[in-house]
Amino acid sequence: MTEIKWEKDFQKAVELAGKTNKPLFQDFWFDG
Amino acid sequence: MNTGPYSDEKVQKYIAEEFIPVKSQCLWDKRSELMKQFDIAWTPTLLVHDSTGKEHHRIVGFVPVNDFLAHLKLGKAKSFFNRFRFADALDNFTTVIEQHPDAGAVPEAIFFQGVAHYWKSHDPKGLRWAHDTLAARFPQSEWARRAQPYKQIPL
Repeated sequence: MTEIKWEKDFQKAVELAGKTNKPLFQDFWFDG
Repeated sequence: MNTGPYSDEKVQKYIAEEFIPVKSQCLWDKRSELMKQFDIAWTPTLLVHDSTGKEHHRIVGFVPVNDFLAHLKLGKAKSFFNRFRFADALDNFTTVIEQHPDAGAVPEAIFFQGVAHYWKSHDPKGLRWAHDTLAARFPQSEWARRAQPYKQIPL
């Protein structure tokens, strides 16, 4: 099993994506 | 914790290997700046961005695992296509079509595979291929209708 390591800070995720040249996958979710 | 489609091992592996994953919580009575920036009006809303944070593909609502994986790959393909990286786009559109033949994203992948082939080779036969493939496999889809003008292209 692979645990997905979710980033919570979008800007930090964009910086990481820029460094790694990977696309971003963003999940907008609602806990209701 | 991984729940929903994220509990599937193939989904976990694909996201972990191919993307920087980010979760953004939605509160309807207090919309966040990110919700406003990306016009989020329902959940789940799933976005595929390129490495600069620019959106290229959007999925709204629940999708089962096979469709989910196909959308992730389609999003990646479109992020290449929109930046004129047609060889990479072709590889990823082909992956959607071959690995998820029954997924809802396939007609769109076929259409753009034809267009990416045209841009890469400047040979219009790729467009005709897209038309013929959509007409044969997905004749009721909107993508088949969008490809209708390519019917005139000689083989």
